[in-house]
Amino acid sequence: MAFWKSQPSKPTNQDANTSADPTKPAAPNGAGLTAPATAHTPLPITELRRTVDPTALGFKTTSELEPARGLIGQDRALKAIQFGANMASHDFNIFVLGPAASGKTTAVRQHLERKLKDLPTPPDWVYVNNFETPNRPRALKLPPGRARSLVKGMIGAIDELRNTLPAMFEGEDYQARRRAIDEEFRSGQEQAFEGLNTKANSQNITILRTPTGFAMAPMHEGKIVKPEVFNTLPEAMRKQIEQRIEALQKELAEIIERLPKTDKQRRAKLSELNEEIAALAVHEALDDLAAAFADQPDVLAYLDAVGRDLIRNVGLFLMSPGDENEIVKQPADTARDARFRRYMVNPMVSHNGDEPPIAPLVEELNPTYGNLIGRVEHIAQMGALVTDFLLIKPGSLHKANGGYLMIDARKLLMSPYAWEALKRAIKSREIRIEQPSEMAGLMSTQSLDPEPIPFETKVVLLGDRELYYLLAAADPDFSRFFKVQADFDDSIARSTENDQAYARLIASIVMEHKLKPLDAPAVARMIEEGARLASDREKLSIEIGRIADLVREADYWAAQAGRSTTTRADVAQAIDENIQRSDRLRDRSQETIERQIVLVDTTGTKVGQINGLAVLQLGDFSFGRPSRITARVRMGSGRVTDIEREAKLGGALHTKGVMILWGYLAGRYALDVPLALAATLVFEQSYGGVDGDSASSTELYALLSALSEVPIKQSYAVTGSVNQWGEVQAIGGVNEKIEGFFDVCKARGLNGEQGVLVPRANVQHLMLREDVVEAVKAGKFTVHAVETIDQGIEILTGVKAGTRGDDGQFEAGSINRRVEETLRSFAERGRAFARRSEGDSAAAGDNGKAAS
Amino acid sequence: MIMHVAEAGEQRGRVVLHITSGHPSDVAMEAAVRIAQAFHSEIESLFVEDLQLYDMASYPFAREISLTGVRRTLSREGIERDLQLAARSLRRRVEALARAANVPLRSARIVRDDPMQALAKACAEDGPWNVVALADVLAPGQGARLCELFANVGGYTGLMLVGPKARRTRGPVIAVVESPDHLQPMLRAAERMAAVAGGEVMIMLLSDSPSGGQWLDEQVRLALGDHAKVNLLAYQIDHGAPAALAEIIRRLEAGFLIGHFGGILVPAHGDLRDLVAALECPLFLMR
Repeated sequence: MAFWKSQPSKPTNQDANTSADPTKPAAPNGAGLTAPATAHTPLPITELRRTVDPTALGFKTTSELEPARGLIGQDRALKAIQFGANMASHDFNIFVLGPAASGKTTAVRQHLERKLKDLPTPPDWVYVNNFETPNRPRALKLPPGRARSLVKGMIGAIDELRNTLPAMFEGEDYQARRRAIDEEFRSGQEQAFEGLNTKANSQNITILRTPTGFAMAPMHEGKIVKPEVFNTLPEAMRKQIEQRIEALQKELAEIIERLPKTDKQRRAKLSELNEEIAALAVHEALDDLAAAFADQPDVLAYLDAVGRDLIRNVGLFLMSPGDENEIVKQPADTARDARFRRYMVNPMVSHNGDEPPIAPLVEELNPTYGNLIGRVEHIAQMGALVTDFLLIKPGSLHKANGGYLMIDARKLLMSPYAWEALKRAIKSREIRIEQPSEMAGLMSTQSLDPEPIPFETKVVLLGDRELYYLLAAADPDFSRFFKVQADFDDSIARSTENDQAYARLIASIVMEHKLKPLDAPAVARMIEEGARLASDREKLSIEIGRIADLVREADYWAAQAGRSTTTRADVAQAIDENIQRSDRLRDRSQETIERQIVLVDTTGTKVGQINGLAVLQLGDFSFGRPSRITARVRMGSGRVTDIEREAKLGGALHTKGVMILWGYLAGRYALDVPLALAATLVFEQSYGGVDGDSASSTELYALLSALSEVPIKQSYAVTGSVNQWGEVQAIGGVNEKIEGFFDVCKARGLNGEQGVLVPRANVQHLMLREDVVEAVKAGKFTVHAVETIDQGIEILTGVKAGTRGDDGQFEAGSINRRVEETLRSFAERGRAFARRSEGDSAAAGDNGKAAS
Repeated sequence: MIMHVAEAGEQRGRVVLHITSGHPSDVAMEAAVRIAQAFHSEIESLFVEDLQLYDMASYPFAREISLTGVRRTLSREGIERDLQLAARSLRRRVEALARAANVPLRSARIVRDDPMQALAKACAEDGPWNVVALADVLAPGQGARLCELFANVGGYTGLMLVGPKARRTRGPVIAVVESPDHLQPMLRAAERMAAVAGGEVMIMLLSDSPSGGQWLDEQVRLALGDHAKVNLLAYQIDHGAPAALAEIIRRLEAGFLIGHFGGILVPAHGDLRDLVAALECPLFLMR
């Protein structure tokens, strides 16, 4: 503060100085008149937009063109895909990187589809019950197209057994043999009972049935002797009868005790009989299937196991079906009958036997863990979750086995466990179905551990470049398993041949979407828009999705206008309507400038104030917006304060730009004196943060104006970065920036003095809107291309920048001379101030010593 | 009763379910309910506590051998309690069966008497439109008991019994006709039974000589005419070997067998051993 006060000097034109003629300065630094600059020629309109001559395209409408097959200009990526697809190694998987809507997914799919016929048809895979360890279902490999035969064959065999087994067991042969066994048991039992009964009767003892067993009592003429009569008998007789009954009771007890053992023998005999009868039917039912799969040892082993289990569990077929259809009186479908689930076959991978089987190409749109690896589903039963091998569901790894699998890399990484599971499958070369909850140790319900299935699939990940480089940096496995990168470009070079190819590409879009043909002017407009999308008039965007969108929208407007051919006007309307749908914020931004809420001058001059240009990106839509940048200077210790950075609104690139311009100032003007400057720079009314270095030249112009006290024409806006040598460098979004300032000027009224300074290096990127080009053509607006700061400052101030002469001095009255003098003045004042301060300190020290 | 009720087209009658032990046959109980259902009649269960059991339990040395071979001392109180519990349990089973078949349960009586006398009294009280259903399995050697029943108990028109191998009440209803006089009532009874047994009606013509068989066949065909409602399958046997006859009936897998007491099928004083031993369905005998 004290420093500021000590330099009241005379008021400068930094405070409120404006002048209609910058070549007539208001006594800057007490120096003399400024030297006028030589005139700079603005860019001709041919440099502002590269147009296409429709007549040079050589057709009237796209219906005359041969549609393009696949993508254009992606030779490098397609070669990479071809290489990756041909490499048999399991770790040469492909990562296709490129911008969204570049058509890479379609291109990869088309390319791989052509490859499928060259691949051997992969085998079928089924899961079947493991009769010895039911929780570990067996995986069976079958030749292509034969899984369905096995599935149908097993259902057929069980169907047959459902008919034959009950018939056999109800048949006379079985019944007679069973009766014989029963009779053998029963007759032995009855004989024993009858023998005992006869014996008892012969001793005048009767056997009666009680509610819970048998009892005996003395009998006379078929009736029990009344106890009172019995008591009248002699004691000896009573004793004798009692002893007989006791003996008979013992015999009866022995007979009854023998019953379970005899019954066990009977059951064993019955079991033998049942197995003998069942074996006949089971072998008969499975023989055809065994013959059909005689060349498959694993299937034969499985059928043996099925046969053994069927014979053991023949009772399943003799139970009454609980869910018989009441209308047609037929038992439920065998495949749905819970009794026979264990004999069913679960096809994981099966090829349709009716068509020639080919290798699969699968695109997994939702690559969750379960959708990739497969899952074991559960069903609720009596409050518990249960499962079996039929509830194993295949994932896309199964479906794509032996072929190609396409996955969106971002979705894959966003799905928990999915990326790790995919890597595990590639590494181990097998698909092992595990529940994620099991891996996390959370599973407590019944589950399965199915045998793994060998995995031989080429995996193709699709993603953007950032993702690719992120994965490459963060995951060491990534580079091991995805050794092929197919990098899709987002643009192609502009040439006559490529213009033709572009037209054919449009023709293919028309054909694919069944649209109206485009006439040559419409195609020319599309090509121009392609260059605009590429932000480079020497390039054409090949973001196929955006191009297709635009063609379809133009088709819509052509239909609205009742045309059978899409014209240039329809394409232009589609572009305009698209912008209009997205530009609400741009309108609001323009409105705040027009209503002077955001201060941007487009006429007059000011010292230390300049119009910068920024680009705002809103989804697919971006627009330019002018922004006022101001600079103030004073004597100081050599520091430029970037207010954006101090307020934590400036990004790293912006800070870098400010530091570069500081280097420029020091290197150019303070060669033999200290840079005793304090300067502040700010984007006025900017609240959302600033980044990028595209305003560094603009800030430098503001600083030079402030130091030279030469005002800047506010009718200009500037963009461009600067290096330490004062060279103006290319920036991005040049078209949007120019159009943003143009729109503000147009709203206020174009006066012919307004224009924009852009880096010379950006001229090749210019594809300005047609209305901007028209304004320039009419002399109402200008676009200047500059290579150096000196060129720019001369255009902005009308004052010569100046070069150093032989005496080491810049030309008198030039901007650079005035800047250097100001800086030298600051340095001298600073030195004088320091000297005074040292003297005051020394005096204070002497006084102190005297006092002591 | 039921034959007469069926013949007269009346809709009333009573099935007396006679139970004399704690081990009635499920098939017999179900068959009793089906008969009541077929003829829209009531059912009455008669549980008889055999007086002889009380006499036996009064002996100081009375013992019971359980079905597992365990012996225990018997007493009057003990046998009384066991019989009461068995009666209650059986009553619940009869009630459940009647409710399921929508058959009115007239009463569930428990009497302490001689089984034969108790049945005779019950039939005499509310006769003659009764059918007696024997809930206890008739053992092959108990043919004499059946004759005794027909001889000593009146007030009923038919009797239903099951053998030790009884296992079904569903299937064809076979009426064994030995005389043209029996055809119409047996056919009507068979039709009604078939409606609830879920099978077709079959008529088996039974005679003891070829000439008798031919005559019977002619008479029956004449009497039947073009009986439209019955899918008639005539079956003739002209030799009377009881074992062969029993085997033929078994193979036909009948749901019900209707016969006449005192004929070739069930002679009044013959040996029923083969028939009862082979019988897998209830046998319905009319007087």
